[in-house]
Formats: sequence, structure tokens, C-alpha cells
Amino acid sequence: MIIAENLTKKFNNFTAVDNVSFEIRQGQIFGFLGPNGAGKTTTIRMLSTLIKPTSGKIIVDGQDSTKSPEYIRSIIGILTETPGMYEKISAYENLNYFSGFYNIDAVKRKSNIEKFMKFFELWDRKDDAVKTFSKGMKQKLALARALIHEPKILFLDEPTAALDPESAYSVRSFIENIKNDIKTTVFLCTHNLEEASNLSDIVCIIKSRIITISTLEKLQAGKGSRKVEMVLKSGAEKIKKIIDDFENISVLKQESENKFLLSVENPEKSNPSLLKKLTENSVEVIYLNEIKTSLEEIYLDLIKN
Amino acid sequence: MGNALKIFRKEIKEVLINRSIWLPILAISLMFSILFPAAITILIEDMVKDPDATGFIAKIFQTTENIETAMLDFIIRQFMVFLLLIPAMLPSLIAPASIVLEKENNTLEPLLATPVSTGQLLLGKTLTSMVPSFIISLTDFILITIVVDTIAWIKFNIIPLPTWEWFVVTFILSPAISFIITMLSLIISSKSTDIRSAQGIGAVIIFPIYAVIGMQIAGLFLLDVKFIIIACAVLIGICPVLLKIAVKTFDRENILTRWKFK
Repeated sequence: MIIAENLTKKFNNFTAVDNVSFEIRQGQIFGFLGPNGAGKTTTIRMLSTLIKPTSGKIIVDGQDSTKSPEYIRSIIGILTETPGMYEKISAYENLNYFSGFYNIDAVKRKSNIEKFMKFFELWDRKDDAVKTFSKGMKQKLALARALIHEPKILFLDEPTAALDPESAYSVRSFIENIKNDIKTTVFLCTHNLEEASNLSDIVCIIKSRIITISTLEKLQAGKGSRKVEMVLKSGAEKIKKIIDDFENISVLKQESENKFLLSVENPEKSNPSLLKKLTENSVEVIYLNEIKTSLEEIYLDLIKN
Repeated sequence: MGNALKIFRKEIKEVLINRSIWLPILAISLMFSILFPAAITILIEDMVKDPDATGFIAKIFQTTENIETAMLDFIIRQFMVFLLLIPAMLPSLIAPASIVLEKENNTLEPLLATPVSTGQLLLGKTLTSMVPSFIISLTDFILITIVVDTIAWIKFNIIPLPTWEWFVVTFILSPAISFIITMLSLIISSKSTDIRSAQGIGAVIIFPIYAVIGMQIAGLFLLDVKFIIIACAVLIGICPVLLKIAVKTFDRENILTRWKFK
């Protein structure tokens, strides 16, 4: 659905995006992460044809972005980082104005406006001027604006910023639903790593250049040693001696008398061997469980290095 | 055209709400359309007693007969040039301001992300600049006609207005100037590197109109049939060319990435 090839964007002598390439299939949620100034917003602007790349190629739904920008803009919806509305006119008029530029008939447009305003709990305020809305309400209205014309591709830059927990939850559920039901492709920029890890099929971490691009599972698996939590019923005094026999297992921390945090290479292979050894030595194990490395840990580790 | 009209309908509502842009110009133009013509027309009787003034008029019109009529003709041509000022001033304020406001309110990016083409966007914003200035010009035209004709009839038993030059100036020349000033304002402001210079463009763009006013007051030239026909032909010819240039040079990227608010 979206192909970026060797995408570079320079502003005078500053390279905001450096030789970035990726491919996003239809229906995927692509989590695009990076620190401030990493080039995330610049990348979204290039993909949505708001600005041209300095070099490289972008293909969206089979169309070259330099040759068919208006077609691409007709199939995308975008929630920008700081979305604005026309404050002096009503919420309904705002949505009606923007959705009027897309090729949807008036009846469908009207019904979609009502549908999304009700979903975001804004219908009761539809005739109120946007200047009377709170920040969270404006964010929801901007999200509705991106969705009204049922785009094939959705660019979301911090979609849950400024939202209260309930609204953030409903937006996240909505994103998951549109992916499953409508096969909309979602390009998600967020600083909320938990949100990215829960929603994204693919995670891409960028700092001008791509640092990594993979599924979360592969990122977690590829970290070398992984953490395993072990809770015993008895035999804690024997653990050190038993662990010393394993080259690829070490005790990171003894969290309490019977609770240990271990570093294990390839837990799929090592855990059964460890369990067998513990049993042979009459150590009673309550559970042995891998603690998945969080996206936050992976992200911070990659950005730091 | 549909998208351009959508933009125009939304924007004209906001322009009408934003009185700070057009109300001062309307107030000044009403003052000039009523008080100034009334005062000047009344004072003609005294002006014809000044030999310097009558000599000046005789030199311009190459006649010494009906000097009041000639003096009135000269005054009316000054008002005619004034009719060109409003369609230049208002668009030079509205056009760049509308882009600046969109950027300021963060609505420009979502608007540019829709399928609206640059041409449709510029046309919509041009109509927003042109329509109020045309309405003000037309109002001035009517008021000046009423005021001058009333006083001229009472004093000199003549009805000098409207002339066909007035119709051409109001309905053809003024809109053409409006269009061109709007296009130039949009071209130059989109290339500006910051907000303030984008907003200040208007003050510079209308210098040629001031020059025309100054030259006519000084008697260096007269807004006559020949000038009006040539001006109409040239300006109308320029309009589509300027639209093409505006579309080609409207720098979306510069506005999105370089315009910053302090």
C-alpha cells in the first residue's frame, strides 16, 4: 500500500530524513517511533504529498507521489501533530467543509459526520463554535475529520495526545477495529510506547535514519539474553550452585527469598533444561516465566546506542 | 470550480466576522465617497476664481470654455482613480492574511492534505478578496455619482455622472486590478520566509496605484479613454497568465515548513 524507497529530505544543510525505506501492506498498522526531531512528521508530510522528498521515491496505492498527488490526497486521512479547526464556525460546519472536498455523496457524508460525531461523543455539541471546545474535544473532532471520507490510509500523528483515559481507550479500540473491519492501513506516530506495542503490526524506530524495523515479537526475541522470572516454593539456597552449571543463564537479581530474576539466552531451549535440573535437585518451582522485554526498553536501548 | 466556491463561501463568512480587516477601509471609502466629493464639488465655484487653477485646467483640457465643467471633469477623474485604490488595498490585506491565519490556526496543513488543488485554493481565496472590494467599489461608485450629480445639478445645472469610463473602471478595471493584486500578494507572500514579511507584502504591492494617483493630481497624465482601453486590455490579458504563475509558484512547502510564529 505504501512503499518508501531511499527517502531523504534536506532543509538547507540539515538532513531531517536520511535514506529511509520501508513497505507497508494494506491493513497493517505501522508504528513509527522516534525522539523529537527524528523526522517522523517530515516523513508523514512526504507520504501525504504535503512536501516533496529531496530524493527517493514514494508509491501510495500504486501511484507515484510526484505524479499523482491529488489522487493520493483523495484516499488518505491525516491527523496532524497540532490539528487546527476553524474556530469561529461550528463543529458540524468544520466537518462538512473538509469532507466536501472528497468524492463522497452528500447523503453518505451527512451520515458519516453523524456517525463519527456520535462515536466521539460530540454530536450534542455539533452546532457549537469550535472555539468553545476543550483541547481533547478538538482532538477528537480532528480525528473525526480524518475519518469522515473513509480513507484507505490513515496518518495519525499522536492520536491520543490530550485525550482523557476513557477517550484514549476508545480511540485505540477504534484504531484496532478499523484495521480488522475495513482494512484501512494505519501509519501511527506516537510517543506512547504502550499504545504502539499494543496496536502496531510493524514497529519502525527512526532517528533521521531507520534504526530498526520489525515486528514487536522479533524485536523482543532478538535482544540476546532475555529475562525470566522464577518463583520457588523451596530450595532457594541451591539456586546459585545449579545456575553456575549453565553457561547461558545467570542470576540478575534475587528479588525476595524465593523470587529470582534470571538472564536466559534462548528461553525456549534453556527453560525446560533448567526446570529439569531444578527438579532433579529437589527444588520446588511455582513458576518459571519469561518477562517480555517491553517496547520501551527496546526503544530506549536502541535510541541510546 | 466547485471546490473554489466551497472555499469562498466558508472564507467570506469569516471575513465578514473579522471586521478589523474591512471595516476601516469601508469607513474611509464612505468618507471619501460622500464628504470629499461633496466638498470638492461645492468648492468648484471658488476654484474657478483662482487664475492658477483655471490656467492649470485650461492647459490640461486645451480649452478655456466652460471652465466649471472642465474643472468638474478633472475632479471626477481624480475620484475615478480613487475607485482603483480600494480594489487594490483590500485584497492586498485579505489575501496574504488568509494564508497567514490558516497557518496560525493550524488549518492549512489539513486543508492542503485534501484533494483541493492549488488552483482551486487560490481561486477560492481570490474570490474572497475580490468580492468585498468589488462591493465597496460599487458602493463608492453609486455614492459619488449621487453626491456629485446632486450638487452639480443644483450649482451648474449639469449631471456629469456616470460616464461610460466610470462603468468600465468600476466593472472591468477594478475587478481586474483586484485579481492581479490578489495573485501578486499570494505569490510573493507564499515565498516569504516569515509571517511578518508575508503580511507586509500588501503595503508594497499597491505602490503603482499610488503612483497613478500622484501623477494625475500633478497633471502629468489624465485617466482618459485611451488609457482606460489600453489598461483594460493589458490587465485582462495578464489575469490568466498570473493565475498560472501563481499556481506554479505557490510554495506549499515553504509555508508549511518555514513560516514560524514567535
